[in-house]
Amino acid sequence: MKRLFSDAFVIARRDFLATVATPTFIIFLMMPLLMFGISAASGLGAAHIASTSQPVSRAVALLGSNAAEALRASDSALREAAGSSNLPALVILPETADPAKAARKMLSKGQVDTTAVLYGALDRPVIRHSEGNVDAARYLAVIAENATRAKQIGLGADQMLSRPDIAEIRSRSVSNSGQHSSGFGAVTVIFVLTLLLSSQTIGTMAEEKSNKVIEILAAAIPLESVFLGKLIGMFGVALAFIGFWCGLGGIVWSLLPESAAMSQFTPAIGLPLFVTFCAAYFALAFMLLGAVFLGIGAQASTMREIQMMSLPITVFMMGMFGLASAAAGAPGTDLARFAEIFPFSSPFAMAARGATDPAVWPHLLALVWQTFWVGLIILLAARLFRAGVLKSGGGWRSVLGLRR
Amino acid sequence: MSDEWPVRASGLIKQFGKFQAVRGVDLAVPRGSIYGVLGPNGAGKTTTLRMLLGIIDPDSGTRSLLGEINPRSASHRVGYLPEERGLYPGMKVREAIAFMGALRGLDWKEGRKRADEMLEAAGLGRVTHEKVRKLSKGMAQLAQLLGSIVHKPDLIVLDEPFSGLDPVNQELLERLIRAERDRGATVLFSTHVMGHAERMCDRLSVIAGGLVRFEGTVAEARARLPMRAHYLPNSGGAVAQALLPADAVGDGEGGWRFTVPDDGAEQLVTSLISAGHGIAGLSIERPSLHDAFVRIVAEAKAEEAAQ
Repeated sequence: MKRLFSDAFVIARRDFLATVATPTFIIFLMMPLLMFGISAASGLGAAHIASTSQPVSRAVALLGSNAAEALRASDSALREAAGSSNLPALVILPETADPAKAARKMLSKGQVDTTAVLYGALDRPVIRHSEGNVDAARYLAVIAENATRAKQIGLGADQMLSRPDIAEIRSRSVSNSGQHSSGFGAVTVIFVLTLLLSSQTIGTMAEEKSNKVIEILAAAIPLESVFLGKLIGMFGVALAFIGFWCGLGGIVWSLLPESAAMSQFTPAIGLPLFVTFCAAYFALAFMLLGAVFLGIGAQASTMREIQMMSLPITVFMMGMFGLASAAAGAPGTDLARFAEIFPFSSPFAMAARGATDPAVWPHLLALVWQTFWVGLIILLAARLFRAGVLKSGGGWRSVLGLRR
Repeated sequence: MSDEWPVRASGLIKQFGKFQAVRGVDLAVPRGSIYGVLGPNGAGKTTTLRMLLGIIDPDSGTRSLLGEINPRSASHRVGYLPEERGLYPGMKVREAIAFMGALRGLDWKEGRKRADEMLEAAGLGRVTHEKVRKLSKGMAQLAQLLGSIVHKPDLIVLDEPFSGLDPVNQELLERLIRAERDRGATVLFSTHVMGHAERMCDRLSVIAGGLVRFEGTVAEARARLPMRAHYLPNSGGAVAQALLPADAVGDGEGGWRFTVPDDGAEQLVTSLISAGHGIAGLSIERPSLHDAFVRIVAEAKAEEAAQ
């Protein structure tokens, strides 16, 4: 066993240095910037399209100056309390000789989206609205009512009779929704990192096959060490990637004020253990899925085959993410148990479990279970490689260890 | 026992699909020898070596390497140069050699130190810090050979080590192999170029059609064929052909070629002189390993055809 690992570390060292000490790694390291850049550009584009394509929605009041002032004050007070995002913009225009006709005219023209028009006295307002915009009409009715009430009791429309005492109380207790969010967040983070990083292993045997080094490796050390070494090497690359971005993220985080949202990040198992287990689950998710990718990729004889294999593998990973996400949303159910036991979703699902269940022993059991599967997959991948690529023969009987 | 026979194989069989590449190879390589595995293309040499090294498993038969039934257990004491050469092109030559040593259990630092010394000794000191991709094919091949012996193995297995090398580098490689043997290592190499085998091998096997057709020393291989004589009569006239062996054929220039009789040439020479033909020239030609090889392979093919 000691030799298996010492041989594996020779391969890991070579692979790590061969990957990190290249200009390509810098591009790989900057990949998140590219992703953020594309996301930001997409977001800005979408916002621009939304702002330019959406017609201006407004509610119009045709009033004399006194009534207009009262209505504007009432609108301001309500808009401040409710937030302005979903309320129609209020436009107050001078009263006309035939307001009914003016209202019909405004509501029938589509260039500027007038949704409702108010005219007449504020205590008996006449409100007309276009099709499907009764809410705008009701809004005009409410601010007219408030302005009328304020006038009757002699208050300005923006003044209040009550004196509310409003203060924030920050919760330190754990809410179910907070735990579920923590679980889902953990699943998402581990999945995204695994998707980004473990899929890199699919083509790592291609180098050895193309330059014939595989014969030297296969003669010198067990193929299991070659596969394990490649996984460890690529995991080292992944850690370098994560370390770089976590370092940057930590600096940015330390500059931000304490967030109330973070107080909701309270996993049931406790934050230090949760983070520790999540790190372990990421490592095992990487090893598990990386071993599958490596094993499948090692069978490919051309880069085209490797590319062809990438899609089903990504779909498979998305399936595991979906399963683990469902488990995170329904802890304690049969679905969650299945996701925790099924080896390829287990790291994600168990990370989610840490957010909602304080028990530690299932995690220790899960880590052993997942490690067993990493070993099993590496063993099978190596045997498959020996039988198929190195042409040792023996077929499935050899792969399953039924034949020496 | 194991020390005396670093490589032993008995009844090795390997089949790829419907093709039986190796049909029952027996091999025993004595310690401290240079041992050649000879055979035509496709004879099963590489498959045999790969089975011996544990790269692939035989369908049946047994093998032991330096006394280990599992060849992998002896891998730190074995050096191997495969037929298809391979090095990481992005690695520096020195690192590539140290890496190959590390695969065989040699410390990286010691590997680098030895790589420097070996490259210098092989006249490749100038490429120590070059990347492998910058080397010529011959240089890369030599660098790989150095990588396969950097850990000072007890057994060195070389698959077609001379292919692709120019005569100067072939000479250098021969010297390297002899130096390893003199150090105490056992060298097993495959080739289909008889010149190298004839010059270097203490013993050899000829494999053809997946079977060992001959095993012994170079001299024993050559002794399988009778010596040939080239006789030029002094008389200039026709030789009484009855005096010559039955297989005598004229060379078109008044001379004759024939197989030297089993009891030697003396009696024949006496007869020719007595009959007045005299001897203007007589040369006895020993068959080369090439001749022996061709005969052995031809016999194997004839045997296969007959089956």
